[in-house]
Amino acid sequence: MDKTYGEGETAVNALKDVSFSVNKGEFLLVVGSSGSGKSTLLNMIGLLDRPTNGRIFIDGVDTMTLDDNEVSAFRNSKLGFVFQSANLIPDLTVLENVMLPRQIQRTDESATTDSLKLLRGVGLEKQAHKRANRISGGQAQRAAIARGLVNKPTIVLADEPTGNLDSITAETIVQLMKSMAKKLGQTFIVVTHEREQFGDVDRIITIKDGRAFEGEEAPSKIEVTV
Amino acid sequence: MLTNKRGSLIGAVLAVSIGILVIHVNFVIFQGLYDAIIRDMSDYRFGDVYVIDEEDFIEKSDLALVNWFERIPYVEAAAPRLSSSASINATKYGQKTEEFQIPVVGVDPFRDTRVSTIHETIYDGQYVFSRNSLVVGSTVAQDLGGVEVGDSLKLKIVDRWGQDQLKRFIVTGITNTPGGQGLDTSVIIHIDTLRDMLDRKGDTGSLLVKLNDPTKAVEVKNFFLASFPNDDFKAETIDESAEDALRGFRSGIAMINMIGYFGMMSSAFAIVTILMMLVTSKTREIGVMRAIGAKRKDILIIFLLQGVIIGAIGAGVGTALGLSYTIYAKETKMQWEGSLALEVSYQWQKTVQTALMAFALAIVASIYPSYRATKLQPIEAMRTV
Repeated sequence: MDKTYGEGETAVNALKDVSFSVNKGEFLLVVGSSGSGKSTLLNMIGLLDRPTNGRIFIDGVDTMTLDDNEVSAFRNSKLGFVFQSANLIPDLTVLENVMLPRQIQRTDESATTDSLKLLRGVGLEKQAHKRANRISGGQAQRAAIARGLVNKPTIVLADEPTGNLDSITAETIVQLMKSMAKKLGQTFIVVTHEREQFGDVDRIITIKDGRAFEGEEAPSKIEVTV
Repeated sequence: MLTNKRGSLIGAVLAVSIGILVIHVNFVIFQGLYDAIIRDMSDYRFGDVYVIDEEDFIEKSDLALVNWFERIPYVEAAAPRLSSSASINATKYGQKTEEFQIPVVGVDPFRDTRVSTIHETIYDGQYVFSRNSLVVGSTVAQDLGGVEVGDSLKLKIVDRWGQDQLKRFIVTGITNTPGGQGLDTSVIIHIDTLRDMLDRKGDTGSLLVKLNDPTKAVEVKNFFLASFPNDDFKAETIDESAEDALRGFRSGIAMINMIGYFGMMSSAFAIVTILMMLVTSKTREIGVMRAIGAKRKDILIIFLLQGVIIGAIGAGVGTALGLSYTIYAKETKMQWEGSLALEVSYQWQKTVQTALMAFALAIVASIYPSYRATKLQPIEAMRTV
């Protein structure tokens, strides 16, 4: 897929001819320097933005054929999000935040039990009934991971999930994501520019100047065929 | 959830409530004043149905007409009156006061007390009780240099033949009405004395008819006119009698009501502003909600629901405040120094109408901010700090 912002002389090609697939249960790290296009790529996969050209298939569904309502429903059921800042709703409790995707889906029956189970899994059981604005940054990010997992999504997309955390808390969050991925067989696509924090992962894609390359290193010289 | 901004919501609710309260206060004061004027005109001057002769004086026997009216079940009582004008002067401490013209009202003391409450406005002395007793309006008493009960007054009336008729009266009472709607600028004497002075034996100027159910005034009036088709009677309900005096006042009320409704429109703009601020301050949360799967419709419902809540609470609180004020005004017979007491009534239809209008306006006012909230793109919204 390609993604171009603007038109004519001011056009910026944020992503160029990016093509890759992700296997179920894979923990995929997308690395690259600032401005390389990592977050743009994640927004495309997360259906928060649309590519200029190309298609994105998730679970065999061509997401380009979905209308706005279908995209919302698809995001809700197939995708989980963990943002750089936890982005919890401050007026809700931690538990209510985790339950939110389920409430949007209107499948409330087991929402509380599932959410509490996930909160136990991320070590936040005791904070479940605290307001989201009363917990620390690390705890908020753990709650965000639980929220990302509550709908049992096909893919969890994490955009710089440790970007706002100190190194010790960041390490905890990385370990938590990796352990949840392993325990639940959950596919993770994590965008980061701090490669070393993640240690061993299943696969790495490097983004450089809007192009995607398998592995940790992008070629120093990129050949462009016109 | 998204809209949990207590201060803003209280502000919006207050805007609706105050809008409704203003309408209630306006209504209580201006409609109360209007109804009070009608009440006093009915009580003091016209009754519920007012009968005169279109050409001249009523020559039919007043007793016969009164009996005719009092046979109608809706009629409580009827009484004749006769009006004229007179020159008046008084002698006070040996000094003769300046002579001036005043209206004279002749009443049947027994019947008049059944159709009018003017006898209740005598603050000193008592009502007309004999052929030579006279009740002075407070303004006249003042103009005459402070006439008191027991003083002697001389009236000069020009009779039907153009001859001056002089008669001395004893002041038996002084009448004063709040707001001056009564006979403060007149003198009241016995109707037979006035008939004698005018040389109009048996003539009547007007008949005041008091009903036990004032809503039947038109029915009684029409029945009366239909029963005397060959006479030159003119009958008016109190609304018709007061029409000339109150036409301008009614326009004023309409204007004040309009100002009240404009106030409510301002409340609607306040809600738009407050909800727009809410949308702006919650942009990031809206983005998150959209990112995790909320549809535009879900966001729209959240903010519209806010409008419904603001409208419902605002309409409830505003109506409660408005009704409290109305009850207070009614119970205390609200009046200001010397003004007439407001005639406050509960207008349930208007109360419900105002509350529903405020409720509907709050919902309408929340449509645009809600629509704006749905237009936020999740990716853009989440970039907002």
